[in-house]
Amino acid sequence: MDDARQLYEAIVAGDAKTAVRLTRAALDAGVIPLDLVSREMIPAMDEVGRRFQCEEYFVPELLLAARAMKGALDLVRPLLAAGGVEPIGRVVVGTVKGDLHDIGKNLVASMLEGAGFEIIDLGTDVAPARFIQAIQEKNADVACLSALLTVSMPAMRDTVAAIRHAGVRAKVLIGGAPVTQQFADEIGADGYSDNANGAVGLARKFIGS
Amino acid sequence: MTSRERLQATLRHEQPDRIPVDFGGTGTTGVHASIVAGLRDYYGLEPRPVKVHEPYQMLGLIEPDLRDAMGLDVEGVFAPQTMFGFPARQWKPFRLWDRLDLLVPVDFNTTVDANGDLLIYPEGDLSAPPSGRMPNGGHFFDTIVRQDPIDDDHLDPADNLEEFGPISDDDVAYYRDAGRIASASKWGVIAAIPGTYLGDIALVPAPFLKHPKGIRDITEWYMSTRSRRPYIHRMFEKQVEYACANMARIHAAAGDHAFDAVFVCGTDFGTQTSTFCSVSSFRELWLPYYQQINGWIHRNTHWKTFKHSCGAVEKLIPSFIDAGFDILNPVQCSAAGMDARHLKRTYGASIVFWGGGVDTQKTLPFGTPEEVRREVLDRCEVFSRDGGFVFNTIHNLQAGTPIPNAVAMLDAVREFNQGATGG
Repeated sequence: MDDARQLYEAIVAGDAKTAVRLTRAALDAGVIPLDLVSREMIPAMDEVGRRFQCEEYFVPELLLAARAMKGALDLVRPLLAAGGVEPIGRVVVGTVKGDLHDIGKNLVASMLEGAGFEIIDLGTDVAPARFIQAIQEKNADVACLSALLTVSMPAMRDTVAAIRHAGVRAKVLIGGAPVTQQFADEIGADGYSDNANGAVGLARKFIGS
Repeated sequence: MTSRERLQATLRHEQPDRIPVDFGGTGTTGVHASIVAGLRDYYGLEPRPVKVHEPYQMLGLIEPDLRDAMGLDVEGVFAPQTMFGFPARQWKPFRLWDRLDLLVPVDFNTTVDANGDLLIYPEGDLSAPPSGRMPNGGHFFDTIVRQDPIDDDHLDPADNLEEFGPISDDDVAYYRDAGRIASASKWGVIAAIPGTYLGDIALVPAPFLKHPKGIRDITEWYMSTRSRRPYIHRMFEKQVEYACANMARIHAAAGDHAFDAVFVCGTDFGTQTSTFCSVSSFRELWLPYYQQINGWIHRNTHWKTFKHSCGAVEKLIPSFIDAGFDILNPVQCSAAGMDARHLKRTYGASIVFWGGGVDTQKTLPFGTPEEVRREVLDRCEVFSRDGGFVFNTIHNLQAGTPIPNAVAMLDAVREFNQGATGG
């Protein structure tokens, strides 16, 4: 098995050390960076998402795979940028005002990054104005809003309203433990997913990928 | 029946005269201090600041006058120290965001950062790095993760065991005194005992320690349950050894009949839609240690064992039962696979449902009082047959819950109970 194929296996297995070593070896051997991403990394994260969907994988495995993918991507990203390769889309992610929880948000960000999106991660406790500013500055295609606390749901509603009021073109995706499709419909979000893999599917749909 | 007899019958899966009700007995069946204040006001009780007995979630103490007004049956014996490592026995005034006057433990020491967030300190020590943060205008603290870089070649399980070990003589005396009071109580009693939780993600970052070592980052911990299992096995083995020795001392000091149930573990195994691990992982990594803890309790005491896990844990309930748990909380019926009727029919003879009374993500905070009433009556109907049901919401009564909804919930339980007894 060549290094690139082994990279796929290492990411699926969540083995960050091996993923980084193999990425370095593949780049040293002259493998085209974009090929590594499109033929190995993205399919690997798709496979991780598939295993999560059918409950072969759970949150720990997802986190391990995301870390392995990130380690590999950190080596490739500067080469892609230098080569003028554009991400498939730009996504602003953040946990809404008043909520400090970030595991779900980070998982969504990692899975989107693994699918080829550029992530602008605003962190937690993010005010509506910061979402709008980042969407405008980065010309983002999608904004992902997260909340764990039930008491944060009004802040999510306010954030979606503010984004709408600002008139930016980004689609708004929401998620988090107390959030439902019904709530997404009520507050005028463009999409809702109860898991990171579903968020990737929606983001791809929004950009027509 | 007295409240105590009612709870005991329920825990034996016998039909009590009415459904026992718990609010405030544990850290996962509690009530936010602002709601305690609102309920005291609603019931016309003597105006006084609410005591925050658990600062992490800002849970308010439900004192006997409010317990009577709410129609409760359970009182709690809390851990000797709060989540931030100081006791909650002496009090000082504190005003939360200029709108709520409270009493907090004397070591509840805070500062305000540049963002206006409230920072709190382990053991109240302002010279240590803060271990909790409440966002400006917020309602609860969240842990500030303090994680040194992890060197896998030098990871030592002892670093993750700093908070475990032989219980102090002072803490044994605390349980002795608590046991003396609890033995004479008319209410059912549930006690928190130290060190029996296995990887509770709220406690892994150790907000009570000044300088925690080992694996303390939440993401690292979750990954470690897959990638560093030998390390976690060694931790759990030692934890169980300490826990059983400590329980023996607590049991001897408090007396066997002081407590009706003990809060063993609050580790969450469920998300909204699934579990945090497979059934086989649970049985390999957790079940043997739970069996040792619960086995000790059942061999040596009359205590019933209480397991809290949020989320969609239906697939794990048979393993919880195998692990020796008698009670499941909070029974998150809103999560995938957790339909109330299915749970009662399938597992009701083997495990007590302590919770599940009403949804706190939707119905209670955002529904109408009538929607609350209907859901409560339905859950009481489903869960109460043949005992085995302690009424509580699905996790704590949160800040922002409309008081009319909280009152509608309590009134609905009364309505059901009166109907059930023909009263």
